[in-house]
Amino acid sequence: MTAYFVRNEEFVRLPDRTREYALFAPQSTASGLPWLAPLEPDATIDPDALLRPRAAQSPKALYMPAAESVGQYGTAEGGTAVATRTRPVVLFGVRACELRARAYLDQVLLEGEFADPTYRERRNATTIVSCDCVDCAESCFCTLVGGQPYPTEAFDVNLSSVEGGWLVEVATDRGRDLLAGLDAPEATAEQLERREEARQLMTTRVNEQNKPFAPGGPPLADDTHQPPLPQGDDEAWQRFAADCVECAACTNVCPTCYCFYLYDQALGPEQFERVRTWDSCLLSTYHRMAGGVRMKLSPRPRLSSRLANRVLHKFAYAPEQVGRLGCVGCGRCIDACLGGIDLREVVSTLAREGTA
Amino acid sequence: MIAKNPYVPSPAPLSEVIAETPTIKTLVVRPGEPMPFRAGQFVQLTLPGVGEAPFTPSSSPLEPERLAITVLRTGTVTDRLHACEPGQTLALRGPFGKGYPLEKTEGKDILVVGGGVGLAPLRALILALLSRIDSVKRLSIRYGARCTEELLYRSEWQRWAEPPNVDFAATIDNPQEGWDGRVGVVTTLLKGLDVDKANCLAFVCGPSIMLKFTTFALLDEGLAPEQIYLSMNRRMSCGMGLCGRCNIGPYYLCKDGPDMNYAKIKDYPNVF
Repeated sequence: MTAYFVRNEEFVRLPDRTREYALFAPQSTASGLPWLAPLEPDATIDPDALLRPRAAQSPKALYMPAAESVGQYGTAEGGTAVATRTRPVVLFGVRACELRARAYLDQVLLEGEFADPTYRERRNATTIVSCDCVDCAESCFCTLVGGQPYPTEAFDVNLSSVEGGWLVEVATDRGRDLLAGLDAPEATAEQLERREEARQLMTTRVNEQNKPFAPGGPPLADDTHQPPLPQGDDEAWQRFAADCVECAACTNVCPTCYCFYLYDQALGPEQFERVRTWDSCLLSTYHRMAGGVRMKLSPRPRLSSRLANRVLHKFAYAPEQVGRLGCVGCGRCIDACLGGIDLREVVSTLAREGTA
Repeated sequence: MIAKNPYVPSPAPLSEVIAETPTIKTLVVRPGEPMPFRAGQFVQLTLPGVGEAPFTPSSSPLEPERLAITVLRTGTVTDRLHACEPGQTLALRGPFGKGYPLEKTEGKDILVVGGGVGLAPLRALILALLSRIDSVKRLSIRYGARCTEELLYRSEWQRWAEPPNVDFAATIDNPQEGWDGRVGVVTTLLKGLDVDKANCLAFVCGPSIMLKFTTFALLDEGLAPEQIYLSMNRRMSCGMGLCGRCNIGPYYLCKDGPDMNYAKIKDYPNVF
């Protein structure tokens, strides 16, 4: 991988906008976190937003939209069809946590017995331009779950802010293609050293702000080690569930939550469409089955069981299923929670009690 | 038969509708291409434009060109499925799941315990076992329903019990006119169980509460958790372990089941 140095005034003209693709990049907002949004063809990227913490919403929706057709079918023989799409997307300003989230989604949705065709198509149409974090939200906790605030892999291009400009590290042909025409000198050893210092500084800052949740030092959990947590029907979960209002904001903003529901709609008398929508394991309808009175229609009628199931999926089941922790520490669920539930506190408290 | 796009069903004409009980019908569909399945595997049956629901075929896996799907009328999709008539075109995805571990039944005492419409998936198992009945030492079928109107496949019981190593007993919850068989919930048929317990496998299917008390009854009788397979037919949307909703611990019932060895799931929460 080669890193180049691009001065600020040239940087805003990256990437090549003469090509046919949709560009999504973080935009500064008057208050709060940047917002990930599509850029008009004549707009330039907003470097200030790259210097802020990660965007308020995760880029998950670009690989797995909140609702999309997954195919059509007809009653006539041979009437089935696969949904077609997708124009290329360049995703700018992706953070290390989001790359880890995508690696997790890849494993779940592509590497099992059935590969998800629409996810694969959208994912493969996406070029990733990631960047180092030089700021973080109070809720950021990547280092608590085995991550770090700068990407080292799984990007096409990575950006690091240095004095006077940016280090642009090109990892793939796709990335090279995107920056075709880039005329910049290679980064100097000193610039690379500065980058390393900035990365360590940022890592220390994330560690510092999460000290209360890992008194023995990070990580609290990672892909190979997870704290023991109480079972889902344990009363301990009820303390946290008391603050949950079952709004599903946490699952919507989560970059690794992928649960969905399929429903059908008619396009015509003999042509039908199957639509996938996001679903949330916290909702009472999620598990609900058809059935008569006196039947137990949900295996998790209690909200505390559902909240526990969500946390246990991330911190206990996912490592068993795919060998990865299901949480990347982006902290969005903490920002989004109306009840002020802090996932770090949930896991560290219950882990501490469990081992006490 | 997994289509290229695993979310899209293939057309399956409805060839026959059998009224089993006032609330249960069996729909016989003939998929465009035969759909080989193992007993216990399930399919997603689509009523075009309305939606789909998971069912384990109740017919013999030896007849992949003809799938019988026994449906209790109990919700939006099943209401509409009950209104379907022969000649209509339904659609199928699947088969999904692992199915019953038939390879483990060799030389064993097999205990099949059904509750209500839960006998439907078990019929595929029973028919598969009957087709090679000499391979098992014994097949004991125990079946319970709330009332005579909810007893399934009554005309077949006698035929099932014909081989010398097969026995069948049924019960209904409360006494009823015209019924001179056993009375009481299905677990009453398990008291003092006369099977070779060390060499036995139990396959259980029924509503959640029946699964729970049958499991406890079997454990009481001395079976080990490893000997008990439960058909955990929960709400499933994708059928492939992706949509998330059917998990018990790290297992997805659609992918890793729906027939789960009780030893695997017993220590996780919300099993029943």
